[in-house]
Amino acid sequence: MYYDIDAILTDAQKVPCQFELNVPGLGYIDGNTGGDLKRGTKVELPLWLGEMLAVSQPTSTGALVTLDLPAALSQRVMNALKADPRTVDLRAQAPHFYALAARMLELFEEEEMVDILTETFKKRSAEIADQAHNPRGALGEGAEFLRGLDETERQLFKSAHESAKSTRSWMADMKKH
Amino acid sequence: MALPLPPGLTPAEIAFMCEMELVTVIPRQRLEGLDLLGGPTPPLNPPYRADLPLWLALLLKRQRRANISPPPWLNPQSLEAILRVETELSNQAFSPPAPLPPSIDPLLPNPAPPFVPSATYDAPADALPYHWLELGEILLEAASDDFETPDQVRRLLRDLREIRMEKLRKGAEVLDAGGGVKMNGVGAMEVGEGRAFITGVIDGLRKIGASKEQAKREREAEERENGFVGTAPEDEDEMEL
Repeated sequence: MYYDIDAILTDAQKVPCQFELNVPGLGYIDGNTGGDLKRGTKVELPLWLGEMLAVSQPTSTGALVTLDLPAALSQRVMNALKADPRTVDLRAQAPHFYALAARMLELFEEEEMVDILTETFKKRSAEIADQAHNPRGALGEGAEFLRGLDETERQLFKSAHESAKSTRSWMADMKKH
Repeated sequence: MALPLPPGLTPAEIAFMCEMELVTVIPRQRLEGLDLLGGPTPPLNPPYRADLPLWLALLLKRQRRANISPPPWLNPQSLEAILRVETELSNQAFSPPAPLPPSIDPLLPNPAPPFVPSATYDAPADALPYHWLELGEILLEAASDDFETPDQVRRLLRDLREIRMEKLRKGAEVLDAGGGVKMNGVGAMEVGEGRAFITGVIDGLRKIGASKEQAKREREAEERENGFVGTAPEDEDEMEL
């Protein structure tokens, strides 16, 4: 198996976590060097760490931390996506927006969010295809939209652009011979 | 990931496969039949036309030993009619492919492209074959003097390609993780060009919908389990199993 860089980068994105226990000596991650981490403190932890702590059950009382949805998947963003998927800058929300959403949806049951994201992805894909086939797209009025693509969408744009380009260059090559 | 080439065929490979298609030539010189790996070719006797594979026809054309007679669907009237079907009659679907010829032997399946000649002079005039785009481009390039109005044909082919690629892209909006888009009548070069994008969209949708799919499967499994404990739906469930 190969290590997938995008999967690693997705797991490195921060999610809000709330500690449910006092942890001695861990205060430094909250800016309180040398002290204890108080119960109820909210800190941003990488997804892989937060998930691990949230699902592990060290005591009978419950998990060490509780996870929350990151700001990128907040209701505010969802409302914006529902209103018009094309104008939202997904990259500013999270560089691996869809991958992060897919990971969070494994942990939270949010059927409505799945529907919103599916609709968003379809609408934006159609726009990406149009931009990728327009040779001047990346420089013209589409530049704003293309800057806001997340990593999955960038790959999609790249592959659509490459195949359009290779077909065009086949036609041009044939004319030369 | 480990392979340097993306999945699917490159445009050059698709064009290479297109060269197997039979086209009709009008020979200018006599030539005995050749015994080729793909089967014998008919002897060439001017001025009687004969069907040859495209690659051989191109070779003879380049040596000025034959003229290629363009297939009927490549004349401007046919292309305009097909273009009208694409724009007006079917907003969603592509213009339908040619109907398959009736089976000769009931024990054998119907012959289908590429084993049905689709670019000879007796090919159907009102449908685009599988290799329409690459065949049209190759003929326009190598044998443009065999067309009556090459520029008009070239323009119509470009229009057709634009409008059909637009439809293929619009198909992404109706795609679903489990569903599909109707691609009847889409040509080889169009499949090759659309492959990377369409598979990318389906893959993305599958990842986003994975949790919902999982939840649905669990719910169904749970319902099945409860069904055995409960009373009413028990019979139905067992019928399904």
